[in-house]
Amino acid sequence: MLVKLAWRNIWRNKRRSLIVTGSVVVGVVALIFIDGLNNGFLSQMLFNQVNLNISHIQIHKKGFNDNKVIQSFIPDKAKVERILAHNKKIVHFSERVIAFGLVSSAISSSGVYILGINPDDEAKITTISKSIIKGEYFSGKQREIVIGNKLAEKLKVGLGGKVIVLSNRPDGSIGSEVFRVTGIFKSPNSEFNKAYIFVPIKTLQNMLGLGNKIHEFAIITTDYKVTEDVKNEIRNQLDESYEVLSYRDILPLLIMQMELYKETIYIINLIIGLALLFGIINSMLMAVFERINEIGVLMAIGMKNGKIFTMILLESLFIGLLGTALGLITGIGLTELISIHGIDFSLFAESLENWGIGAVIYPKLTLENLIAMLFMIPFITISGAVYPALKAIKLEPVYAISYV
Amino acid sequence: MEILRTENVNKIYEDNKVPVHALKNINLKINKGEYVAIAGPSGSGKTTLLNLLGTLDKPTSGKIYFENSDFTSKSRKELSEFRLRKLGFIFQAYNLIPVLTALENIEFSMMLLGVPEKERRERAKNLMAELGIDGLANKRPNEMSGGQQQRVAVARAIVNNPRIVLADEPTANLDSENGSKLLDLMEKMNEEKNITFIFSSHDKQVIERARRLILLKDGRIVSEN
Ligand SMILES: Nc1ncnc2c1ncn2[C@@H]1O[C@H](COP(=O)(O)OP(=O)(O)O)[C@@H](O)[C@H]1O
Ligand SMILES: [Mg+2]
Repeated sequence: MLVKLAWRNIWRNKRRSLIVTGSVVVGVVALIFIDGLNNGFLSQMLFNQVNLNISHIQIHKKGFNDNKVIQSFIPDKAKVERILAHNKKIVHFSERVIAFGLVSSAISSSGVYILGINPDDEAKITTISKSIIKGEYFSGKQREIVIGNKLAEKLKVGLGGKVIVLSNRPDGSIGSEVFRVTGIFKSPNSEFNKAYIFVPIKTLQNMLGLGNKIHEFAIITTDYKVTEDVKNEIRNQLDESYEVLSYRDILPLLIMQMELYKETIYIINLIIGLALLFGIINSMLMAVFERINEIGVLMAIGMKNGKIFTMILLESLFIGLLGTALGLITGIGLTELISIHGIDFSLFAESLENWGIGAVIYPKLTLENLIAMLFMIPFITISGAVYPALKAIKLEPVYAISYV
Repeated sequence: MEILRTENVNKIYEDNKVPVHALKNINLKINKGEYVAIAGPSGSGKTTLLNLLGTLDKPTSGKIYFENSDFTSKSRKELSEFRLRKLGFIFQAYNLIPVLTALENIEFSMMLLGVPEKERRERAKNLMAELGIDGLANKRPNEMSGGQQQRVAVARAIVNNPRIVLADEPTANLDSENGSKLLDLMEKMNEEKNITFIFSSHDKQVIERARRLILLKDGRIVSEN
């Protein structure tokens, strides 16, 4: 009966209750959306890196990731290949030769990472093959090169243009080769478009006199969630002369940023939560003041403070639950809807591309945050009613009854 | 048998600049089953006295005994429990709970006492039938006339079988026909259930029907019969 009474009391002042419920809804939607956007932003940042170049797991000779010297070859390539081929959680892997060098056109030159790749294998690992905006990915000829649009602009070369690539060989001499641009790619990461070039692995091995030695295996697992497991499995099968790294090990800053973000969202939640709290306190105080007379009557007929207190808390809880439910539905619906096409931040595309994200952000919900909200918002609405409810039960019955 | 007694009760309101001596040396004895009217002009202290008898307020000095135990020294919680079990209230402005139907308003007092739902419903229905207001069961206060609301209020006041029902000017907002219907009802309950009624009024029609009259003037009892 107390529940019935509280529920009906809410609807006495429909306008106010709807405004308060509405503010809860807005708060919940804002929280869901902000979280979705940030989460989408960060995971795009992460997965763009992963898909563009990093892959899920990389294997090198120990120390290569920190210091990419040309002499750090994979010790036993055949052995690693056997291990990878036998792991059922590995979908694809590819070999890479990685060198640092200089690329020059007739007009200018630029320092770059030179990636020697096996075009067919690499196409299954990274998104470069799908990011070609001019020309084509490799056609199978020996001295083809694929470069980013930013680099092409800087070198002022177009399709079919000639570039010379220089790099140190392991013995200290300089290796060089002339390449013809077959494709120009544009990834969401402008830095990457400036600093990475791709050539067939054989050509690079010849140019640097490496024989069939390589620096890196790039691996894609069945799901990014099993990455750490697969990493440990491989690690157990290889000796100390190798390093097996997941994308988390390779992108520690990004991972740290994601962790940091989780703390930021708490602060945002706190701020919105506080705003809600004061809104609730205010409206419940009004609800109490409007009913002083009635509360006096309830006291006179013997309703005890505990019950009056509970009644007021229930009223606020109902508003909170209602607002949370509507807010979750609206928020999830809205976020899902928007995430189909993403939000176009073309206006800020330049800076977003510097972060390696791309101009369109696809908001992404986290279950954690939704569940947190499911508990947090009703808790806030109850808390907001405590002070008004205390005010109510502190009323003197005579005063309350004759209050006009 | 005595049910209520006051001893040298004084009430002075001191919240304003000038203290108001609203009740002066009130000595009263009311027996079980009495039907008492407190009369007097406006400002004579009727409401103040009923509030004190109803434990809603405390006297500035003096004692009030219910069945020989002093309640002026009891805690808020004890008094709340006492009002719930032993007292019933009827207000001038009816003061039913606006969001509850007539039936629910009557049930509400029983809910506060912890009466189980089924029993509550049954007792409320029976009482409404007894008072001839069963047609109002599902009406909310704003769908009833003043007279109807006040009869529901009587039902609410007596449903827990209180010892005393206190009513401050219960007919003041009613026309004379509804007023006398209400008095009929109160008299009937007084006779049939032996519930003590104490009510205030400055209405001649009401006062004439009282079996005992206490006349107040300027906070003093000026006559009693
Ligand atoms: N809360 C209060 N504060 C100050 N004075 C009051 C208060 N309540 C009543 N009084 C004064 O006490 C006197 C008695 O009032 P009341 O008991 O309401 O009389 P009645 O009900 O007979 O009209 C009046 O002079 C009134 O102004
Ligand atoms: Mg009065």
